Amino acid sequence: MAATVAPSQSLLSGGGGLHPLQAQGLHAAQHQSQQQLHQQHHQSQQQSGSDGESFDLTSRKLTLDDFVRVRTLGTGTFARVVLVRPSHGTEAERSKVYALKILRKTEVIKLKQIDHVRHEREILADVSGHPFITSLVASFSDHDFLYLLLDYIPGGELFSYLRKFRRFDEDMARFYAAEIVLVLEYLHEQQGGIAYRDMKPENLLLDAEGHIKLVDFGFAKRLGNNDNDHPVETYTLCGTPEYLAPEVIHNKGHTTAVDWWALGILIYEFLTGYPPFWHQNPIEIYKQIVEKPVIFPHDPPISDAAKDIIRQLCTVDRSRRLGNISGGAARVKAHPFFEGVDWEAVAQKRYRGPIIPPIRYPGDAQCFDVYPEDDVNKEEYTSDLESRYDEYFKDF
Amino acid sequence: MSSAGFTSPFGANTNPFGSGRVDSGPGPMHRVVEEDENDAVTSPTTPSFGLTNAGGGSVFQGPFGGDATSDAPPSGLRSPLNPETYPAQYNFGRRTSVSAESLKPVADTYDNWTPPVHPKSQEQIERLKEAMSGNFLFSHLDEEQTSQVLGALVEKPIPTKGIKVITQGDPGDFFYVVEKGSFDIYVNSKGSLQPGPDGMGQKVDTISAGGSFGELALMYNAPRAATVISAEPQCTLWALDRMTFRRILMESTFARRRMYESFLEEVPLLSSLTPYERSKIADALKSQKFPAGHTIIREGDPGHSFFLLELGEAVAYRSGNDTPVKHYHKGDFFGELALLNDAPRAASVVSKTEVKVATLGKSAFQRLLGPVEGIMRRTKYVGVKSGVEDTDPLHVPGA
Ligand SMILES: Nc1ncnc2c1ncn2[C@@H]1O[C@H](COP(=O)(O)OP(=O)(O)O)[C@@H](O)[C@H]1O
Ligand SMILES: [Mg+2]
Repeated sequence: MAATVAPSQSLLSGGGGLHPLQAQGLHAAQHQSQQQLHQQHHQSQQQSGSDGESFDLTSRKLTLDDFVRVRTLGTGTFARVVLVRPSHGTEAERSKVYALKILRKTEVIKLKQIDHVRHEREILADVSGHPFITSLVASFSDHDFLYLLLDYIPGGELFSYLRKFRRFDEDMARFYAAEIVLVLEYLHEQQGGIAYRDMKPENLLLDAEGHIKLVDFGFAKRLGNNDNDHPVETYTLCGTPEYLAPEVIHNKGHTTAVDWWALGILIYEFLTGYPPFWHQNPIEIYKQIVEKPVIFPHDPPISDAAKDIIRQLCTVDRSRRLGNISGGAARVKAHPFFEGVDWEAVAQKRYRGPIIPPIRYPGDAQCFDVYPEDDVNKEEYTSDLESRYDEYFKDF
Repeated sequence: MSSAGFTSPFGANTNPFGSGRVDSGPGPMHRVVEEDENDAVTSPTTPSFGLTNAGGGSVFQGPFGGDATSDAPPSGLRSPLNPETYPAQYNFGRRTSVSAESLKPVADTYDNWTPPVHPKSQEQIERLKEAMSGNFLFSHLDEEQTSQVLGALVEKPIPTKGIKVITQGDPGDFFYVVEKGSFDIYVNSKGSLQPGPDGMGQKVDTISAGGSFGELALMYNAPRAATVISAEPQCTLWALDRMTFRRILMESTFARRRMYESFLEEVPLLSSLTPYERSKIADALKSQKFPAGHTIIREGDPGHSFFLLELGEAVAYRSGNDTPVKHYHKGDFFGELALLNDAPRAASVVSKTEVKVATLGKSAFQRLLGPVEGIMRRTKYVGVKSGVEDTDPLHVPGA
C-alpha cells in the first residue's frame, strides 16, 4: 500500500527537521483529519468546501502547507518525489496534481550537491515547456528542505516498462530514441549547450499518451557553445556508473558529447535488456568502458543499423562520436537506424506511443513503484549550517 | 496535420504496438486498461485517491498483462529472466546516480593550487610506478600527470597488526598502494562492518607489497566495499586522495586545452572559428614528442595533418638550400594548408631541439567541423590566404 499511517504531527517545520512526508503522512482514511489539522494552521483561509478562494500557484511564494501529500513516486540518490495536490483553492484547482521533488538541505550539503541543485532549478526553469521535458511550476524552500514543484507525469518510469518487458523491439526502441534525440538536440543546440549528464531509463517517464518526459535535471549544466562566459567543458564527475562516458571516467573535461555516449548505452539497453558494460564492482564497469568495445549478443538479433548507431554513439574518440561530430544532432537523425522517421511528426507527437500507460484518472499513481515514506537520514539543519549555507539556497 | 498517407517508421503497418499512425481509434495492444466505469475513482479529490486498488481492485486489470494487481508496481511484475539471453548476475534494480564534489579549474576560481609534493627516492618512485602501471585510472596519464601523481602520494606508516585502514560501508576518500607488509581484506555480506567478533565478515584476499586497494575512491565518494586491515606489524602504505588526484588531472588538461585554444586563435586559416569550435579542435589535438633532428614533415610528401609547436624549436628547409627558410618557436604552427587540400608539402620541417607538437589530421578536422573551405567562406576572409603565402614556406608558390 502506498501511504503509511503516520501519527499526526505539527505541520510546522522547525521540529528538529521532521521530514515533511512524515509530518504530512496522509492516508485516505486520515484524509479528513489531516484536512482539519491543516485548516487550524490556516485560519485565514477559506473553508475548503465546495469552492474555496482561488489559489494561483504562481501568484506568491508557496509553502508546504499549500499541498496535501498523496504518496511517494520515487526516491533517487538525492531526493524524494511525492505526488501532491493543492490543499486549498477552487474545486478545479484542488483537483489538480503535481509532483513535488523534495531535497533535504543537510543531504544536499553532505553530498556536495549545492551547485547541482542550483543548476537544476535554473535549467529546469529555462527548459520548461519543451514537449519532452517535465515542466517546473514553482520552487520554494523552508527551514530544512528545498522544493521543486513539477508537472506530474503519470505514466511512470520507462525503466519499469523495460524491466517488465525485458527488452524493447527495434520499433519501440526507435520511438523512444527519436524523442530523446530531439530533447538532446534542443538542450545542446538550441539552449546554448546544456549537458544533461544523467540519461538512463530511470529518468525517462511516460506521459499519459506514452510519450517521453525527461525528468531529473540534477546534473544538468549549462556549458558555453559560443561567446559567453560559460566554460565549454566541465570536470565534475557525475552520472550513473553504467552510463558514464570514458572522458568522464578519465576526468579529461567533458562536454555535451557525454549525452550522445549515454544515448548509445540506452539504445543498447532497450534492445537487449541490460547495458553493454556491467559488473558488480563499479571499478570493473569503468575499466570496461574505457578499454572494451561494445559487444552484441547473438540473441536477441540486433539489426545492422541499430548496431551501427550504438557503435557510433559509443565511440571513445570524441572526434568520431556521432552527435558530437560535424552536423551534430542532424547527423544522428540522418542515421539509417532512423530511416523513414518524419522528425516533424515526432516533434508534434503525431506518432502513437508504443506503450499507453494504464492511467485511470489524473492523479493515478499506479504506474509507479511503492517506496517507504520515511527518510533514513534526518540530520538536523543546525543554525551553524544555516548561517554558512542558506545563502546558496536563496533562489528557491 | 493530416495523418493521411503518414506511414510510421516505428513498425509501419506491422507495428506490433498498434498503428503507428496518428488516429484516435482504440488503443494499441499495450493498452490493456479497462474503461473505468467507476466514477468514484476518476478524481484525485475523491477519498480513494491514491489507493491503487480502490473498491477491491477488480475494476482494473493489470497494464502489463495477466495477473497484474494494481498493488504491484510495474517492475515488481518482472517475469523470470530467460537464462539463455540474460546475464543472470546482472542486478536489474534501479541504479543510483553518483557524483564527486564539483571541481573548477584554478583559472576559473583564482585560488592558488599546486599539487602537493612528498619527496621519494628514485627506487620508491620506480616501485610505485610499477604498482600503478596496471591500473586503468593511471595508465592513460601523460608523463607530467604521472609525475605529479607520484609526487602527491603520501606515506602512511601502519605500525601494528590489526589496524583497520578502511572500513566497509564507510565513505572512501583515499586510494592506497602497499609499500611494505601485507593487508587482509574482509567482506561482510550485509554491506558494512557489523559489531561483534565476526563483524568484518569473510576474509576474501590478502594484499602484499606492490598491491593496491581503494581505487573507486579516486572517482567519487562511494561506501567502501570491504574492510582492509593490517596483517602484520610495521606496514607502510602510500595514500592518494580523490581531490588531489582529480585536480591534478583537471588542471593539466585544462591548462593544455587553454594553451591549444590560444595557439589556434593565431592560425589565420582558422580565424573565423567560434570559441566553441576552437575548443572542439583543442579537444581533438594529439600530443607527440620528437627528439632533436627529427623530420616532422617532409617536402614532397602529401600533407594530411597540421601541427602546433607546444615546446621546443623547429626549422623549415627547402630542397637545394641548406639555410633554413623559417624558424618555429613555441606557439607557432605549420602545415595547416593540409587542412585545405592534399597538396605535397612545400618544405621539410625538422626539430632543432626536442619538441612536443600537437597535431590534428584533416579527416579529424572535417569530421568535427566540416570542410575548412566552408569555414573560411563564413566571414569575408580578408587577406588570409596571402598571409599564409607570405609566411608559410610550406605553401607551394603558385599552386
Ligand atoms: N514530474 C514527475 N512526475 C512523476 N514522477 C516523477 C517526476 N519527477 C520525478 N519523478 C519520479 O521520482 C524519481 C526520482 O526523481 P529524480 O528527479 O530522478 O530524483 P533524483 O535526483 O534523486 O534521482 C524519478 O525516477 C521518477 O520516478
Ligand atoms: Mg533520478
